[in-house]
Amino acid sequence: MIRNKTLIVFSFIFFTSTILEGSTIVIKNATIFDGIEDSSYLGHILIDDGFIKKVSKSSMVQGDRVIDVKGKIVTPGFIAPDTEIGIVEIGALSVTRDDESNIYDIGFSIHSAFNPNSTLIPWNRSNGITSAITLPRNTSSPIGGLGSFFLLDSKMNINSNADMVLIGRLGASGSSSRAENLSLMEDILSFGLSLNKKDIASDITIDEIIENSSIASYLDLKARDVKVLYRLFDEDLPLIIKSHRASDILNLISLKKKYDLNLVIMGAQEASLVIDDIAKNDVPLIINPINNIPNSFDELASNINLAQRLEKAGIAMMFNVSRDHNYHLIRQGAGVAVANGLSYGSAIKALTSNVAKVFNIENRGSIKVGNYADIVVWEDDPLEPSSIPERVFINGIETDLTTRSTRLRDRYTKDLNKPNTYRN
Amino acid sequence: MEKLSAIGKDLPGADELTIVDATGKWITPGIIDIHSHMGVYPAPSVKTSSDGNEATSPVTAEVWAEHSIWTQDPQFALALKGGVTTFHVLPGSANLIGGRGVTAKNLQRNTINSMKFPDAPHSLKMACGENPKRVYGNRGQTPSTRMGNIAGYRKSWIKAEGYLSKLDEYEAKSDEAKELSYKPTRDLELETLAGVLRGDILVHNHCYRADEMAMMIDVAKEFDYKITAFHHAVEAYKIADLLAENNICAALWADWWGFKHEAYDMVQANVAIVDQARNGTGCAIVHSDDEIGIQHLNVEASKALSAGLKAGYSISKARAMKWITSNPAKAAGIYDQTGSLKVGKNADVVMWSRNPFSVYALVEKVYIDGALAYDKSSGFEPTSDFDIGIINPKKRRIEE
Repeated sequence: MIRNKTLIVFSFIFFTSTILEGSTIVIKNATIFDGIEDSSYLGHILIDDGFIKKVSKSSMVQGDRVIDVKGKIVTPGFIAPDTEIGIVEIGALSVTRDDESNIYDIGFSIHSAFNPNSTLIPWNRSNGITSAITLPRNTSSPIGGLGSFFLLDSKMNINSNADMVLIGRLGASGSSSRAENLSLMEDILSFGLSLNKKDIASDITIDEIIENSSIASYLDLKARDVKVLYRLFDEDLPLIIKSHRASDILNLISLKKKYDLNLVIMGAQEASLVIDDIAKNDVPLIINPINNIPNSFDELASNINLAQRLEKAGIAMMFNVSRDHNYHLIRQGAGVAVANGLSYGSAIKALTSNVAKVFNIENRGSIKVGNYADIVVWEDDPLEPSSIPERVFINGIETDLTTRSTRLRDRYTKDLNKPNTYRN
Repeated sequence: MEKLSAIGKDLPGADELTIVDATGKWITPGIIDIHSHMGVYPAPSVKTSSDGNEATSPVTAEVWAEHSIWTQDPQFALALKGGVTTFHVLPGSANLIGGRGVTAKNLQRNTINSMKFPDAPHSLKMACGENPKRVYGNRGQTPSTRMGNIAGYRKSWIKAEGYLSKLDEYEAKSDEAKELSYKPTRDLELETLAGVLRGDILVHNHCYRADEMAMMIDVAKEFDYKITAFHHAVEAYKIADLLAENNICAALWADWWGFKHEAYDMVQANVAIVDQARNGTGCAIVHSDDEIGIQHLNVEASKALSAGLKAGYSISKARAMKWITSNPAKAAGIYDQTGSLKVGKNADVVMWSRNPFSVYALVEKVYIDGALAYDKSSGFEPTSDFDIGIINPKKRRIEE
């Protein structure tokens, strides 16, 4: 008897989910923070074939399936710009880490290492993150390693934007001067700028180029590395440099100007000291708004009000977290920033459209007609970490919010008369 | 030291009192963090003042965290702005037995003696699992396995039992007999362990996995000592009843996971499951072990509460507030003095801008022993020597 019941329930779930994928959905009576406007509005969203077909303030929108969310907050899916999702399962377990290369440097791509079955994906998705940029660990050279953008829909057919950002770092190293670091960075950029299309036409021409360049030979660059340096300038690839100290930030701005870089600074705990230069030169920042610890001598100016000051100066910001796994806690950081003076609308943009704009992620990051329907319906305020999504749509498909964590919770709170290994 | 002298509507002698208008505000006891490394791992996080792990031998019961604390750590003042009035500093978890912890009031002074919580019992840090076996296993030393860990604790307790019986034997002698014999030579390591066996020193045991916690309870029974609290205990929910039956608290994060294999099975309702075990007799604590987390223990408790409600438990805000006030006070052995708002207890009080179970709640005032320690509106706050003139000679570190 019990067995039959289970079968019936299962087939029902299968049936409904099949229906949902092919039809139009209306999210009705939503308090919409669309990632574009500063404030919310009450509206209705029509999702058709994965895209947002209509956003209307009148309730006349029709669809195959109508979900009345009764005034709940609806936002674009949040985009985490600085994660290890898909390439690190357990931090201290090296056999589960795929974030480092011993051979490649500038051209090291983690894209093919992405594991769509990682437990971090449902976990972060169920907390409102629908897509993320995954970055490798820093390589030995001051510029090196490519990050990729991934949808967190747990599909084996990975939906991604490969190798869309290059990373680097500038600051205290503990072994050699930051001046050396900066010179090396400039030498690499200068070499990259000197490349033209025929240089990278074949691996043979690339080998010649490397042989003739003292910096490329010194760094033992490979063809992959050189091609990425060409892309940096040819495609105006975003370059994220991790850096904190105010004077380093100014040096990076000088490089940006000299080499016309698409520069993003990550960390930037001392941004407040050089805020006018950052604003004047349009450098977007990825900050951890909850981090007010003077954790190094590069971060002495760390202050809980940084986000609010960036907003006032008109600087585009995005958020990261200081610990791995819970990347969704960029929501908590955003909440703390709002508690300390950041406007709510800017906080939502920092979690959505700012990331899409800065990293050229097309048709995502905001609720507008023509965009992919990456949409989250929240049970309550998304900036309160105690509130979680009720529904998460990625590419217009409602995703499952079960996680390994909720499975374990249920195993240890239900059906306790059985031994744990015989519970669900 | 000022005590809470009355709580109610019509307070005696109201004419002579300083009135603080808390209309619309929330009042809680001072927040207590049972797991902090402030001072022993201060900011900036540099080698020269990183003094939390005496990782030179798996058993270092002879070291005391209070001897490592840098009293100019700028993190104390940041924690104060998060409402933290008392914190318990432990050595790190590299060792099986890491040394003594210390409970301090968040009144930053030049000497640790002037910050120590009066009459608070000493504590002992022990650690299970990956950390000790990694640190010593990598050096080809014992312990390199979990069975090596357990053998290490047991060997230490056997030594401690021997030391204690010698002490007891000597102390049981008559004054005359004492004169005719030698007093046992003091041994710093065994003195600490004997203090645990005598019940004077409280055991705080870093332990993630359920199976290991159960074994640590067995070790404690074998040598007849009590474990006051398991710390981190990511799998406490799997043995919540066992913890409640043995009267052991679990000091937990709201949501940390995945940084180690033993921290992989995270459940956000962990705190609530421990709290509700055996008809609500469990002792759950939300701890930080983190310089940022300590500033937001109210939000960490809020996440844990919300996860508990989603798991189907009925838990009030007042009950959840115990996770960061009275329960850590009990685990630190200072509940008779602080941890709740009760007449006769220390006047450790926090005034919040709104419901503290919100990310938007800000601490407006903190009183420690009845004295104002922080006042947001007037900008009255402590500043460590480290913070003075370090960026701009004329200003404090983050002064604008």
